[in-house]
Amino acid sequence: MSELVTPTAEDLQALVEQVWTSYVDPEPLLPAAPLADPGCWSAVTTVTGAWRGMVTVELPERAAHAVATRMLEVAEASREEMADAVGELVNMVGGNVKSLMPEPSQLSLPMVASGSITLPSGAQEACRADLAWQGMPITVRVHLLENDAEGAA
Amino acid sequence: MKILIADDSRVMRQIVVRTLRQAGHGSHEIVEAENGRQLCEMALAERPDLILSDWNMPEMNGIDALDQLRGSGSAIPFGFVTSEGSPEMRERAEAAGALFLIAKPFTPEAFGDALGLAGITP
Repeated sequence: MSELVTPTAEDLQALVEQVWTSYVDPEPLLPAAPLADPGCWSAVTTVTGAWRGMVTVELPERAAHAVATRMLEVAEASREEMADAVGELVNMVGGNVKSLMPEPSQLSLPMVASGSITLPSGAQEACRADLAWQGMPITVRVHLLENDAEGAA
Repeated sequence: MKILIADDSRVMRQIVVRTLRQAGHGSHEIVEAENGRQLCEMALAERPDLILSDWNMPEMNGIDALDQLRGSGSAIPFGFVTSEGSPEMRERAEAAGALFLIAKPFTPEAFGDALGLAGITP
């Protein structure tokens, strides 16, 4: 039975900041107003076990490209490298969220889409961090999964 | 010294190499694997002095790779570099024979300390 505990929005923002300042930009992300459609690149990772949830990262293509070039320390990045970098971002945030929640549980490999990811119908948003970087929106969300809800499509 | 880095993310393998350099460990020979199966093959073929492995990888994950290595009699020093740094994961890693677990995001100091545990000096 999944326990209905969630990280706080403050926990989530702190985790995202830690990952961001370590690998993307030492300058912190800024709080931003929530957007209905934050961008066209999405990444998700799923936690199953004593706690069941999903962590998503959404950002515009320009931000995904900039994240990849920063993480690789190169001037240009391919779409494959962008997917790798954004996937690694959600993997790090997801792994740290998992570590705050009841165990034992398993973390899935990240999935990345150039577009939006459709979450399962049983997924309920638990908390979110709406942030801005160089004028671009970065949205990170944690969703609780009902016991019969499967992964993203 | 030769270090085998296993991670399915090329971006993360590159960050690990860069962080090793920042920790003063830039002179070691580096070989790379994309999953646990490759890790096991390369551990036999390359005989590294240290293996740094992600936990969560396709084909074969890091903990299964470590089990396979230890089951085959290999005692190569092994450490995890993973986004999952909870006490439970650290206990599982230690019980399986890992020397250390470095949680992402990490610092050069974390690598310096961990490599010291494996007896590897800059």
